[in-house]
Amino acid sequence: MTIRILVVDDHPVVRHGLRTLLGGRPEWEVIDEAEDGLEAVDKAGLLRPDIVVLDVSMPKMNGLEACRLIRKTVPTCEILFVTQHDSPQMMREALSAGARGYVVKSNAARDLLAAVEAVSQHRPFTALNGHSSADSR
Amino acid sequence: MKLRILIADDHELVRRGLCALLKDHEGWEICGEASDGREAVEKAAQLKPDVVILDVGMPNLNGLAATRQLSRQDPRCKIIVLTITDTDQVVQEALDAGARGFVLKSDAARDLVSAVEALQRNRMFLTPRVNDMVLAGFLDRGHHASTGETPELPKLTPREGEVIQLLAEGKSSKEVACLLNLSTKTAETHRSNIMRKLGFHSIRDLVVYAVKNNIIQVQMPASARDVPGPTA
Repeated sequence: MTIRILVVDDHPVVRHGLRTLLGGRPEWEVIDEAEDGLEAVDKAGLLRPDIVVLDVSMPKMNGLEACRLIRKTVPTCEILFVTQHDSPQMMREALSAGARGYVVKSNAARDLLAAVEAVSQHRPFTALNGHSSADSR
Repeated sequence: MKLRILIADDHELVRRGLCALLKDHEGWEICGEASDGREAVEKAAQLKPDVVILDVGMPNLNGLAATRQLSRQDPRCKIIVLTITDTDQVVQEALDAGARGFVLKSDAARDLVSAVEALQRNRMFLTPRVNDMVLAGFLDRGHHASTGETPELPKLTPREGEVIQLLAEGKSSKEVACLLNLSTKTAETHRSNIMRKLGFHSIRDLVVYAVKNNIIQVQMPASARDVPGPTA
Protein backbone atom coordinates (compact mmCIF):
# COMPACT_ATOMS: atom_id res chain seq x y z
CA MET A 1 0.00 0.00 0.00
CA THR A 2 1.27 3.46 -0.83
CA ILE A 3 2.36 5.64 2.08
CA ARG A 4 1.14 9.19 1.40
CA ILE A 5 3.48 11.91 2.68
CA LEU A 6 3.06 15.67 3.13
CA VAL A 7 6.39 17.57 3.22
CA VAL A 8 6.51 20.79 5.25
CA ASP A 9 9.47 23.22 5.40
CA ASP A 10 9.74 26.96 4.80
CA HIS A 11 12.82 26.52 2.56
CA PRO A 12 11.98 25.28 -0.95
CA VAL A 13 15.51 23.88 -1.39
CA VAL A 14 15.05 21.72 1.70
CA ARG A 15 11.66 20.54 0.39
CA HIS A 16 13.38 19.59 -2.90
CA GLY A 17 16.01 17.69 -0.90
CA LEU A 18 13.38 15.85 1.13
CA ARG A 19 11.43 14.97 -2.01
CA THR A 20 14.61 13.61 -3.62
CA LEU A 21 15.40 11.46 -0.59
CA LEU A 22 11.84 10.15 -0.26
CA GLY A 23 11.57 9.57 -4.02
CA GLY A 24 13.91 6.59 -3.71
CA ARG A 25 11.06 4.39 -2.44
CA PRO A 26 8.36 3.55 -5.01
CA GLU A 27 5.88 2.66 -2.25
CA TRP A 28 6.07 6.20 -0.84
CA GLU A 29 4.34 9.14 -2.49
CA VAL A 30 4.90 12.80 -1.67
CA ILE A 31 1.35 14.03 -2.20
CA ASP A 32 1.98 17.73 -1.54
CA GLU A 33 4.14 20.35 0.15
CA ALA A 34 3.51 23.19 2.59
CA GLU A 35 5.73 26.13 3.53
CA ASP A 36 4.46 26.98 7.00
CA GLY A 37 2.57 25.41 9.88
CA LEU A 38 -0.76 26.98 8.99
CA GLU A 39 -0.66 25.63 5.44
CA ALA A 40 0.42 22.24 6.83
CA VAL A 41 -2.64 22.06 9.09
CA ASP A 42 -4.96 23.04 6.22
CA LYS A 43 -3.45 20.55 3.79
CA ALA A 44 -3.29 17.74 6.33
CA GLY A 45 -7.03 18.21 7.07
CA LEU A 46 -7.84 18.19 3.38
CA LEU A 47 -5.51 15.46 2.08
CA ARG A 48 -5.31 13.24 5.20
CA PRO A 49 -1.75 12.00 4.60
CA ASP A 50 -0.31 8.97 6.40
CA ILE A 51 2.79 10.93 7.43
CA VAL A 52 3.65 14.62 7.73
CA VAL A 53 7.38 15.38 7.55
CA LEU A 54 7.51 18.62 9.53
CA ASP A 55 10.08 21.35 10.26
CA VAL A 56 10.02 23.04 13.70
CA SER A 57 10.96 26.67 13.00
CA MET A 58 8.58 28.12 10.43
CA PRO A 59 6.71 31.39 9.88
CA LYS A 60 3.01 31.93 10.64
CA MET A 61 2.73 28.80 12.79
CA ASN A 62 5.65 26.75 14.10
CA GLY A 63 5.86 23.00 13.70
CA LEU A 64 5.04 22.15 17.33
CA GLU A 65 1.72 23.97 17.21
CA ALA A 66 0.98 22.50 13.76
CA CYS A 67 1.77 19.02 15.10
CA ARG A 68 -0.74 19.41 17.95
CA LEU A 69 -3.48 20.59 15.59
CA ILE A 70 -2.84 17.92 12.96
CA ARG A 71 -2.88 15.17 15.58
CA LYS A 72 -6.20 16.55 16.83
CA THR A 73 -7.88 16.81 13.41
CA VAL A 74 -6.33 13.72 11.76
CA PRO A 75 -5.44 11.29 14.59
CA THR A 76 -4.33 8.57 12.14
CA CYS A 77 -1.66 10.82 10.70
CA GLU A 78 1.87 10.32 12.07
CA ILE A 79 4.26 13.26 12.46
CA LEU A 80 7.98 13.03 11.77
CA PHE A 81 10.01 16.14 12.65
CA VAL A 82 13.05 16.96 10.50
CA THR A 83 14.69 19.93 12.16
CA GLN A 84 17.95 21.76 12.69
CA HIS A 85 17.44 21.61 16.48
CA ASP A 86 19.86 18.98 17.72
CA SER A 87 18.46 19.27 21.24
CA PRO A 88 17.00 16.71 23.67
CA GLN A 89 14.71 19.43 25.07
CA MET A 90 13.23 20.18 21.65
CA MET A 91 12.89 16.48 20.95
CA ARG A 92 10.91 16.03 24.18
CA GLU A 93 8.63 18.94 23.23
CA ALA A 94 8.08 17.43 19.80
CA LEU A 95 7.16 14.03 21.23
CA SER A 96 4.88 15.69 23.82
CA ALA A 97 3.14 17.50 20.97
CA GLY A 98 2.29 14.12 19.47
CA ALA A 99 5.14 13.41 17.06
CA ARG A 100 6.23 9.82 16.47
CA GLY A 101 9.66 10.61 15.01
CA TYR A 102 12.45 13.18 15.33
CA VAL A 103 15.44 13.53 12.98
CA VAL A 104 18.12 16.25 12.83
CA LYS A 105 18.46 17.94 9.43
CA SER A 106 22.22 17.50 9.28
CA ASN A 107 21.69 13.73 9.50
CA ALA A 108 18.55 13.55 7.36
CA ALA A 109 20.30 11.83 4.46
CA ARG A 110 21.34 9.06 6.88
CA ASP A 111 18.23 8.82 9.07
CA LEU A 112 15.21 9.91 7.04
CA LEU A 113 14.40 6.67 5.26
CA ALA A 114 14.66 4.57 8.43
CA ALA A 115 12.57 7.13 10.28
CA VAL A 116 9.76 7.15 7.69
CA GLU A 117 9.87 3.35 7.59
CA ALA A 118 9.44 3.17 11.40
CA VAL A 119 6.82 5.90 11.66
CA SER A 120 4.77 4.42 8.81
CA GLN A 121 4.41 1.34 11.03
CA HIS A 122 3.49 3.56 13.99
CA ARG A 123 6.83 2.86 15.68
CA PRO A 124 8.85 5.70 17.25
CA PHE A 125 12.14 6.81 15.72
CA THR A 126 14.32 9.48 17.33
CA ALA A 127 17.86 10.45 16.38
CA LEU A 128 20.02 13.27 17.70
CA ASN A 129 23.67 13.68 16.68
CA GLY A 130 25.60 10.68 17.89
CA HIS A 131 22.55 8.91 19.28
CA SER A 132 19.62 7.27 17.61
CA SER A 133 16.93 4.98 18.85
CA ALA A 134 14.26 3.11 16.95
CA ASP A 135 11.72 0.90 18.59
CA SER A 136 11.92 -2.33 16.63
CA ARG A 137 8.81 -3.92 18.10
CA MET B 1 30.48 20.74 -23.93
CA LYS B 2 28.48 20.60 -20.71
CA LEU B 3 28.71 23.27 -18.02
CA ARG B 4 30.30 21.59 -15.00
CA ILE B 5 28.94 22.59 -11.58
CA LEU B 6 30.38 21.86 -8.14
CA ILE B 7 28.04 22.21 -5.13
CA ALA B 8 29.30 22.88 -1.59
CA ASP B 9 27.05 22.90 1.48
CA ASP B 10 27.54 21.22 4.84
CA HIS B 11 23.99 19.83 4.84
CA GLU B 12 23.49 16.83 2.58
CA LEU B 13 19.76 17.55 2.55
CA VAL B 14 20.42 20.98 1.04
CA ARG B 15 22.93 19.54 -1.45
CA ARG B 16 20.27 17.05 -2.57
CA GLY B 17 17.82 19.90 -3.01
CA LEU B 18 20.31 21.99 -5.00
CA CYS B 19 21.21 19.02 -7.20
CA ALA B 20 17.50 18.36 -7.81
CA LEU B 21 17.07 21.98 -8.94
CA LEU B 22 19.96 21.88 -11.42
CA LYS B 23 20.38 18.33 -12.64
CA ASP B 24 17.65 18.33 -15.28
CA HIS B 25 18.83 21.51 -16.98
CA GLU B 26 20.01 20.72 -20.47
CA GLY B 27 23.72 21.23 -20.95
CA TRP B 28 24.61 21.22 -17.24
CA GLU B 29 26.14 18.51 -15.11
CA ILE B 30 26.86 18.29 -11.37
CA CYS B 31 30.51 17.23 -11.44
CA GLY B 32 30.96 17.02 -7.66
CA GLU B 33 29.81 17.88 -4.15
CA ALA B 34 31.67 19.10 -1.07
CA SER B 35 30.63 19.36 2.57
CA ASP B 36 32.92 22.24 3.60
CA GLY B 37 34.98 25.02 2.05
CA ARG B 38 38.28 23.17 2.24
CA GLU B 39 36.86 20.15 0.42
CA ALA B 40 35.35 22.52 -2.18
CA VAL B 41 38.75 24.08 -2.90
CA GLU B 42 40.38 20.65 -3.17
CA LYS B 43 37.66 19.24 -5.42
CA ALA B 44 37.67 22.34 -7.61
CA ALA B 45 41.41 21.90 -8.19
CA GLN B 46 40.79 18.31 -9.17
CA LEU B 47 37.53 18.57 -11.14
CA LYS B 48 37.98 22.01 -12.78
CA PRO B 49 34.28 23.04 -12.59
CA ASP B 50 32.98 26.01 -14.58
CA VAL B 51 30.71 27.11 -11.73
CA VAL B 52 30.98 26.55 -7.98
CA ILE B 53 27.95 27.09 -5.73
CA LEU B 54 29.13 27.75 -2.18
CA ASP B 55 27.23 28.07 1.09
CA VAL B 56 28.64 30.85 3.29
CA GLY B 57 28.28 29.13 6.67
CA MET B 58 30.40 25.99 6.46
CA PRO B 59 32.82 24.42 8.98
CA ASN B 60 36.63 24.29 8.63
CA LEU B 61 36.73 26.89 5.86
CA ASN B 62 33.71 29.13 5.36
CA GLY B 63 32.29 29.96 1.95
CA LEU B 64 33.79 33.46 1.79
CA ALA B 65 37.32 32.24 2.52
CA ALA B 66 36.80 29.39 0.04
CA THR B 67 35.66 31.93 -2.59
CA ARG B 68 38.93 33.84 -2.12
CA GLN B 69 41.00 30.69 -2.53
CA LEU B 70 38.99 29.47 -5.53
CA SER B 71 39.29 32.83 -7.29
CA ARG B 72 43.08 32.74 -6.86
CA GLN B 73 43.34 29.08 -7.76
CA ASP B 74 41.30 29.29 -10.98
CA PRO B 75 40.22 32.78 -12.08
CA ARG B 76 38.19 31.17 -14.89
CA CYS B 77 35.91 29.46 -12.36
CA LYS B 78 32.71 31.41 -11.57
CA ILE B 79 31.35 31.42 -8.05
CA ILE B 80 27.81 31.77 -6.73
CA VAL B 81 27.51 32.40 -3.00
CA LEU B 82 24.47 31.02 -1.18
CA THR B 83 23.58 32.64 2.09
CA ILE B 84 20.79 32.82 4.64
CA THR B 85 21.25 36.57 4.99
CA ASP B 86 22.21 39.38 2.61
CA THR B 87 23.67 41.83 5.12
CA ASP B 88 25.86 44.58 3.69
CA GLN B 89 28.97 43.02 5.14
CA VAL B 90 28.43 39.52 3.72
CA VAL B 91 27.61 40.92 0.29
CA GLN B 92 30.65 43.19 0.30
CA GLU B 93 32.98 40.39 1.39
CA ALA B 94 31.55 37.92 -1.11
CA LEU B 95 31.97 40.30 -4.03
CA ASP B 96 35.43 41.38 -2.88
CA ALA B 97 36.40 37.71 -2.61
CA GLY B 98 35.46 37.18 -6.26
CA ALA B 99 31.88 35.86 -6.19
CA ARG B 100 29.86 36.77 -9.28
CA GLY B 101 26.52 35.48 -8.11
CA PHE B 102 24.68 36.03 -4.85
CA VAL B 103 21.56 34.02 -3.99
CA LEU B 104 19.59 33.86 -0.75
CA LYS B 105 18.97 30.30 0.37
CA SER B 106 15.30 31.08 0.89
CA ASP B 107 15.07 32.14 -2.77
CA ALA B 108 17.33 29.44 -4.23
CA ALA B 109 14.48 27.42 -5.72
CA ARG B 110 13.41 30.52 -7.65
CA ASP B 111 16.78 32.16 -8.41
CA LEU B 112 19.49 29.52 -8.64
CA VAL B 113 18.85 28.41 -12.23
CA SER B 114 18.73 32.07 -13.35
CA ALA B 115 21.97 32.74 -11.45
CA VAL B 116 23.83 29.88 -13.15
CA GLU B 117 22.43 30.96 -16.54
CA ALA B 118 23.64 34.52 -15.93
CA LEU B 119 27.15 33.37 -15.03
CA GLN B 120 27.17 31.07 -18.04
CA ARG B 121 26.65 34.20 -20.16
CA ASN B 122 29.50 35.94 -18.29
CA ARG B 123 27.10 38.18 -16.39
CA MET B 124 26.69 38.71 -12.66
CA PHE B 125 23.59 37.66 -10.74
CA LEU B 126 22.51 39.70 -7.74
CA THR B 127 19.18 39.90 -5.96
CA PRO B 128 17.45 43.30 -6.40
CA ARG B 129 18.27 44.26 -2.79
CA VAL B 130 21.92 43.33 -3.24
CA ASN B 131 22.02 45.23 -6.51
CA ASP B 132 20.80 48.38 -4.72
CA MET B 133 23.27 47.77 -1.91
CA VAL B 134 26.20 47.41 -4.29
CA LEU B 135 25.26 50.63 -6.08
CA ALA B 136 24.86 52.49 -2.77
CA GLY B 137 28.20 51.14 -1.57
CA PHE B 138 29.88 52.20 -4.80
CA LEU B 139 28.53 55.72 -4.45
CA ASP B 140 29.41 55.80 -0.76
CA ARG B 141 32.98 54.69 -1.45
CA GLY B 142 33.28 57.51 -3.94
CA HIS B 143 32.14 59.90 -1.21
CA HIS B 144 34.64 58.51 1.32
CA ALA B 145 37.46 58.59 -1.20
CA SER B 146 36.82 62.26 -1.83
CA THR B 147 36.53 63.17 1.87
CA GLY B 148 39.16 60.77 3.24
CA GLU B 149 36.67 59.28 5.74
CA THR B 150 37.31 55.59 5.02
CA PRO B 151 37.72 53.90 8.42
CA GLU B 152 40.92 51.91 9.02
CA LEU B 153 40.25 48.25 9.76
CA PRO B 154 42.92 45.79 10.86
CA LYS B 155 44.12 43.80 7.86
CA LEU B 156 44.37 40.04 8.28
CA THR B 157 46.10 37.89 5.69
CA PRO B 158 44.02 35.16 3.98
CA ARG B 159 45.95 32.57 6.03
CA GLU B 160 45.11 34.43 9.25
CA GLY B 161 41.48 34.41 8.12
CA GLU B 162 41.60 30.61 7.90
CA VAL B 163 43.31 30.32 11.29
CA ILE B 164 40.79 32.60 12.99
CA GLN B 165 37.87 30.43 11.79
CA LEU B 166 39.48 27.23 13.06
CA LEU B 167 40.37 28.79 16.44
CA ALA B 168 36.85 30.19 16.80
CA GLU B 169 35.46 26.72 16.06
CA GLY B 170 37.36 25.55 19.15
CA LYS B 171 40.37 23.91 17.52
CA SER B 172 43.76 23.97 19.27
CA SER B 173 46.92 25.35 17.64
CA LYS B 174 48.03 21.76 17.10
CA GLU B 175 44.77 20.91 15.29
CA VAL B 176 45.02 24.11 13.23
CA ALA B 177 48.57 23.15 12.26
CA CYS B 178 47.46 19.68 11.24
CA LEU B 179 44.51 20.93 9.14
CA LEU B 180 46.56 23.58 7.33
CA ASN B 181 49.74 21.52 6.93
CA LEU B 182 51.78 23.89 9.09
CA SER B 183 54.11 23.34 12.02
CA THR B 184 52.54 23.92 15.43
CA LYS B 185 54.98 26.79 15.94
CA THR B 186 53.79 28.52 12.75
CA ALA B 187 50.15 28.06 13.78
CA GLU B 188 50.96 29.61 17.16
CA THR B 189 52.70 32.52 15.43
CA HIS B 190 49.57 33.12 13.30
CA ARG B 191 47.48 32.99 16.45
CA SER B 192 49.61 35.54 18.31
CA ASN B 193 49.75 37.81 15.21
CA ILE B 194 45.94 37.75 15.01
CA MET B 195 45.59 38.55 18.71
CA ARG B 196 48.09 41.41 18.42
CA LYS B 197 46.62 42.91 15.23
CA LEU B 198 43.07 42.86 16.59
CA GLY B 199 44.07 43.87 20.12
CA PHE B 200 42.53 40.73 21.68
CA HIS B 201 43.49 39.31 25.07
CA SER B 202 41.45 36.12 25.11
CA ILE B 203 40.04 33.48 22.79
CA ARG B 204 36.60 34.73 23.85
CA ASP B 205 37.33 38.07 22.12
CA LEU B 206 38.32 36.14 19.02
CA VAL B 207 35.12 34.05 19.01
CA VAL B 208 32.96 37.18 19.39
CA TYR B 209 34.86 38.80 16.46
CA ALA B 210 34.38 35.66 14.34
CA VAL B 211 30.64 35.61 14.99
CA LYS B 212 30.19 39.36 14.40
CA ASN B 213 32.11 39.18 11.13
CA ASN B 214 30.33 36.08 9.78
CA ILE B 215 33.51 34.01 9.89
CA ILE B 216 31.56 31.39 11.82
CA GLN B 217 27.82 31.07 12.22
CA VAL B 218 26.22 30.08 15.48
CA GLN B 219 22.90 28.30 15.73
CA MET B 220 20.63 30.18 18.08
CA PRO B 221 19.28 28.17 21.00
CA ALA B 222 15.69 27.13 20.43
CA SER B 223 14.44 29.36 23.25
CA ALA B 224 15.80 32.45 21.48
CA ARG B 225 14.13 31.63 18.18
CA ASP B 226 10.56 31.60 17.02
CA VAL B 227 9.54 28.50 18.91
CA PRO B 228 7.26 29.25 21.83
CA GLY B 229 7.00 26.99 24.83
CA PRO B 230 4.14 24.55 25.32
CA THR B 231 0.75 26.05 24.67
CA ALA B 232 -2.51 25.27 26.38
